[in-house]
Formats: sequence, structure tokens, C-alpha cells
Amino acid sequence: MKSEAVSLPGGMLPEALKTPSVILGPVSLGGLDDQVFAPIEQRPTRAWYVALAIASAVMLLGFAFIGFTFVTGIGAWGNNIPVAWAFDIINFVFWVGIGHAGTLISAILLLFRARWRNAISRFAEAMTIFAVICAAIFPLIHVGRPWLAFWLAPYPNQRAIWPNFRSPLMWDVFAVSTYFSVSLLFWYLGLVPDFASLRDRTKSRLRRFFYSMLSIGWRGSASHWRHFERAYLIIAGLATGLVLSVHSVVSFDFAVSLVPGWHMTIFPPYFVAGAIFAGFAMVVLVLVVVRATMKLDNLITLYHLEVMNKIILTCSCLMGYAYVMEGFTAWYSVNDYIRHTFWQYIAGDYRVAGWTMIACNILIPQLLWVRRFRRSYFTMVFVAIAVTVGMWFERFMIIVGSLHQDYLPSSWQMYRPTLVDYGILLGTFGLFFTLVLLFARVLPVIATTEMKIVLLGSQPRHGGGDHG
Amino acid sequence: MGNQPFSVLGLFDSAQELMDAIRAVKGRVAGRLDAYTPYPIHGMEEALGLRKSPVGGMVFVMGLIGAISALAFELWTEGVDYPVVTAGKPVFSWQPFVPIMFEVTVLFACFTAGLGMLFLLNRLPFFRHPMLGSKSMPLITRDKFALAVEADGQDLDVAAISSALRAAGARAIEVVEQPAPLGPVSPNFLLRVAAGAGIACLAAGYLTYWGVKLFPVTVPMVHMLDQPRLDPQRADGFFKDGFGMRMPVPGTVPRGQVPFTLRGPGDAAGLGNPLPRTESVLGKGRQAFLTYCSVCHGALANGQPSMTAAYGAKPANLMSEKFRDYSDGEIYDVIIRGKNAMPSYSADLSGDECWSVVHYVRALQRALNAKDSDIPMEAPK
Repeated sequence: MKSEAVSLPGGMLPEALKTPSVILGPVSLGGLDDQVFAPIEQRPTRAWYVALAIASAVMLLGFAFIGFTFVTGIGAWGNNIPVAWAFDIINFVFWVGIGHAGTLISAILLLFRARWRNAISRFAEAMTIFAVICAAIFPLIHVGRPWLAFWLAPYPNQRAIWPNFRSPLMWDVFAVSTYFSVSLLFWYLGLVPDFASLRDRTKSRLRRFFYSMLSIGWRGSASHWRHFERAYLIIAGLATGLVLSVHSVVSFDFAVSLVPGWHMTIFPPYFVAGAIFAGFAMVVLVLVVVRATMKLDNLITLYHLEVMNKIILTCSCLMGYAYVMEGFTAWYSVNDYIRHTFWQYIAGDYRVAGWTMIACNILIPQLLWVRRFRRSYFTMVFVAIAVTVGMWFERFMIIVGSLHQDYLPSSWQMYRPTLVDYGILLGTFGLFFTLVLLFARVLPVIATTEMKIVLLGSQPRHGGGDHG
Repeated sequence: MGNQPFSVLGLFDSAQELMDAIRAVKGRVAGRLDAYTPYPIHGMEEALGLRKSPVGGMVFVMGLIGAISALAFELWTEGVDYPVVTAGKPVFSWQPFVPIMFEVTVLFACFTAGLGMLFLLNRLPFFRHPMLGSKSMPLITRDKFALAVEADGQDLDVAAISSALRAAGARAIEVVEQPAPLGPVSPNFLLRVAAGAGIACLAAGYLTYWGVKLFPVTVPMVHMLDQPRLDPQRADGFFKDGFGMRMPVPGTVPRGQVPFTLRGPGDAAGLGNPLPRTESVLGKGRQAFLTYCSVCHGALANGQPSMTAAYGAKPANLMSEKFRDYSDGEIYDVIIRGKNAMPSYSADLSGDECWSVVHYVRALQRALNAKDSDIPMEAPK
């Protein structure tokens, strides 16, 4: 994209309309390797150790609470009839949603040939995998006896019965496990050429052995690249359908049931938009820290953050539409139960949570209409934190807000989370950031192969086209 | 081949130089051309004349297999092997099977694309490829571009290829040797590999068995069984009589049952059977008879059940003359009042059920003591 050469009949293209370069300053192919691989090859800083200590301490705290749950039973949580699904499912949907941004960046934006994705795809994919790990914990411990979770698999057994494939919960098992395996595969495929680079750089024999094993003898042959690129593109296409299906299936857990406030056809797109929304907020939050501490600001530029902020703004508007549609559905259905549930959201016992959700998801992100705010660290971190909080409360409202007052007024109950509930939620944040910190030290956080493709002059001059 | 080189490499500084060199060298030297680059180069397939990657076809076929096998499996388990009707849907309703079918399709397709590409098409892992031992490899994975002329069944003309590459602008030339051939595999090594694989299989098998069969029934896992409650038929010190179970209050009557109003023995002897001899009544009687009476009296009511020897008593043979002469009311009386060792069944059977049993016993008596005249005979024509 030679933006300086663009001239239109009406004169030169205005500066603001040009596609900015996705890389700041001169970066050479070898220099890129040196810059990206540096954190792996140096000793970690003191700040990293401190961060890891805090994150892993929080993680262990969460594990302790999970252990307490196993020994005591699910009664340690605040769940009870009618709010039988509470923190566990809220947190499950929350974390799976965060994972979705990674697949969107790595797969959908690859199909759209958005060149800015190349710098952040690796990190986003890693966050997908870590977020899905955090998410998977919750349904597992919610079944009460996770050591029997293998009953979910359709294997021939002496009970002579099969899982109910008509149940959305079973769809969920397949969707999330497929999503995790495919994300892991996609991530690993992208890492193979990077492992080869690391293998050829390292002086340590032990590291060389591990990188050789992981790169399985990758040698960058042209005949290999042609299969690699094709397979990568195909998996991106399939992952696009997959990522849309996963959160749709998660929303089916609710939409296929008859609970007022859940039984709506808008749920699948509403959930997918919300997932991308929350996921991008988390990516922004982490990348702001990563680019500053890992000296990557010439590769992950303000332009990257600005584009992501635009996506957050778009999703915020979609969420606003979905909330309005929920109200419209309640009114248009002429159904007392659905109307009651909707009023519960904004004027009921949990109205504080409801208004937190609306403020954080709809109102605060509107700041991003202003270009200055899209490029300001303070504002974008503020908005990202707000969105993370708001999206958590959205799932809280959907689940607790709908369940605590269902069809039978005699069973209405308020839900109060216990210390164990909060502890496990906090623990998954610890797990997530522990994995992120380890990842940042052990693996290249930027896909160097993909970055080299978009470096200036990295492709031969032939036939035009958008080759960078 | 001996010490014949595997290939001759020319190193270039940029993708543009590499593409120019391919155009310059192609068709002018003997050997197979391949390029080694740090990242994929657009237009490389056409320049080297590589055929299109068959990944797409593989993915399509495997995706289709995934879709069909998932749908077939779901239909078979839910519709054939163990049909369960949920929400009144037909057992072969395919619509709810679509999400899982989709996921399995994507799973098959993605792993075919990823692993098929690595293992089948690219023939990886390949740790002893000559290129991996070359001095140029660390440069190629970093920022250099190599054009290789590889031996294609015949010996390479190293001098001619080197000069052709140099003429095409190569900054450096490297001759890549064949790696030293591997020695023959020793039987000892094979034995160790086999033993290792065997131990791994055994360990994996036991771990699965442990995880599925043993671990879930160890102590903290079965804490749901440990509940503060009284199980039926268990002793308990809480009540004075030492029984955990309570007797119902005297005079308690099960719902839907009319209590018997007979006062003294022989009260019912004169009663006639109020029920008609229909098939449904006899069926009900047969059911009750098999449940309650056949245990002692035998399925044919002849006093010879399978458990007589163990029991030691002599249950009545209802086929005997004596009981055939009983009136319906007398049999009814025995059922609800008991006789000798036989307890009363008034708590287990309703009045109608008792009368059905009477009908059924009568039918048995008739069937087992049939006379010739019971067989309807028509005179042969």
C-alpha cells in the first residue's frame, strides 16, 4: 500500500483518509526477529517477577477455593433454586466471550486482509486459549463431581445410555471443546515457523532441542509454504464459522429454554457481538501494558489500538441495539412474564447491576467517538475496564436477573454470592494473567513470520495488488 | 551416491532478488529448483511451477465425512440404540443434531487442514533433512532467501550451478552435503522401543481404568453418599423400639383403597364374585397372582414353587379336590385373612384385585383339570 502515491481526480487523498503504516520507523527482517525474540532470550525483569508472583498467588487462592468447594460441596456457593445457575455460568460465558476476540483477530481479520492484525494476532490467539481454559473450569466444577465429567463423552458404557444430543448443554460441550482444540491447532501452526527461527538462533543446547521438537524440522521450503498458506487460510475460514457458532451455542443454553428473558431469537447475534466487545476490551487492556513493557511500540502502534477502539465502539452500539430490542420484545410480546423480567432488569432488586451494565457497555464507550480519546491511554484503559466490568454484569443480569423471579412467585429468591464465589472468580483472573505472563516470556508474542509479510519491501514488485 | 551433494544454494538479500534469480536460472541448470524463505512469498508457486496445494480437496472430503458420521451417530444413538422421546419430538428429528454436526465438521476439517498439511503434504517431522544441517539455515529463518538446485536422481554439476547462481546475483553459495547415513538399527534398540511402547500402553490403560473406575469411588469423591439421614430398614437408637422406620398410625388406609369390612372368619364364605369374567379382569388377576401368590403356591398354583425346598413349609396345592370345591367367597376370605402360615394380603391387594385373583385361580383350576367334554368337538363331516 503506497499511500503517498495515491492521487485522485480531485487532488491528493486527504491525510486522514490514508491508511497509516502498520509499523513505525524502519524495521528490517532480522531486526524484527531481534526485537521480538529479545524477551525470550533475556532474563526477565524484576517487574515481571513481581507481576507473576501476584498473579500466581491470586490463582492459587482461586484453586484453594475450588478445593474447598470439592470438599464441602456446591453448597459452599450462593446458588440455590431458583437461581441454580449463577457465578459459574456467568463466569463461563464471560471468559468464553473474551476468547472470541482472539479468533476474530486471527481468523476473520485474516480473511478481510486487515494488515494491522498481523502484529497482534499471536497475542490475541494466546488470550483465546487462556480464556477458554478459564471458562472451562466453571462448567466442570459446576457439575459438582468433575471426576465424572467424562460421562459427557459419548462412549459405549455399561449403563448402555448415551448423552442427550438434543440438549443445548451437550452442544456446548462439543462447541467449546472444538473451539479450544481448533484454536490450539491454529496457534501452534502459526508458531511452527517461529519455533524454527528460535531453533536457529539459540545457543543453548537444551533450548535448541525443545525448539527443534516443536518446529518438527520446519525449513521454510517454498513447497511447504504453499501448503501452509493454503491450510492457514482454510482454517481461518472454518474458524470464522466456528467462532460465530460457539457463542451462538452458548446463547442456546439460554434461548432454547423457556425462562422469561432468555427465550429470545436475538440471543445468538447478541451474544456474539457481546463476546467480541468484551474480548477486544481485554485485548486492548493487555496490549497497552505489553507494548510499553516489552518495547514493542513500533510494531503495536497507536494505530492498532485506535482501530481496536473503533471495533469496541461498533460493538457497543450493537449492544445498545440488543438492549433496546430486549425491551421492544418485552413490550411487543404482550407477555406479562417477559415484561416483568425486563422491568426487573431496570427497576427491580438488581437494578444497580442493570444500570452498571448499561452505563459501562453503552454510555462510557461512546467516548470513543472522539479521535483524541481513541488514542489516549487513559481513556482507552478506562473504557476497556468499564467494558469488562459491564459485560460481566450483563451476564449477571441475564442469568440472575432472569432466574430469581420466574413463573412461580412462591419460588422467588434473591441471589447472594458467597466468599467462595468471589474467590473462584478472582482465581480465574489470576490463572489468566499467570498464563499471559508466562506466555510473554516463553513464546514470541508477535508472529514474526506474519509481520515479515507486511514489512515494507518484503514482497517482490509484480502485478500490483495489495501485497504491502 | 556417496558424498554427492544434496543441493547447491544461492543466498539472496531480498524477495525481489530471489524472484529475479528464479527467472534467470529456471530451465538453465540440471536439477530440481526449490526456494527457502523466512516467510511465504507471493507469486512463488507460479515462478517455481509448483502445482496447486490439494489441501482444499482434502478438507472438503474430511469435512463431509465429519458431517455425515456425526449426524449418523446422533441419529443412531438417539433414534435406534436408545430412543428417548424428549419434548414430544419424533426420535428421528434431525434439527437438534445440527449444532454438533457442524462442530464435528469443523473439527475434522481443521485438523485435516492443519495436520494433513504438516504430516502428509510437507512430510514433517523431518529432523534429518540435509537443509537443517546447512550453514544457511539460520540465515534463512531470519532474513535471507535461498534458491536451491537439488539433486533430482542424478549428480549435480556443482561448478555450473554455482556460476549460474552467481550470475543471477547470489551473494553467497553453499553446497549442502548429504547427511551421514544412519547405521542399521540394532535389535537391542528395537527391543527397547517395543518395551517402552508396551509399558506406555499398560500405563495409559491402567490410568484410564483408575480414572474411570477407581478414582470416582474413593473417599472424598463419594461424599454425596454420606448424608445425615436414616436409610430404610436400618436400626436407630432415636426411637424407643430401635427401628429407624415408623409404623403408620393404627387404622391408616392407603389412598384409593376401601378397607375390608369383614368381621369374623367365614364372613365372606357366602359372597359371590362381583367381577365379570373378562379378559382384563383375568389379566389383572394373573398379574397379582404372579406377584404375590406364585412365590409359594407356584405359577400353576399346584403348591410346587421353586423355593419350596428352601422354605420348608408345604404351601397348599390349589389344584386339589379340596380347593376346587371351595366357593369363590371362601378363597377370597383366605386371601384377605390368611390361613395357617399364610399371612393376610389385605394390605397389599384391593378388594377388586382379590376377586380378580379368585377368577384367575378358578381359571387355572379349570385349565389344569380339563375334561374331554371341555374341548369343543365337531363331528367329522
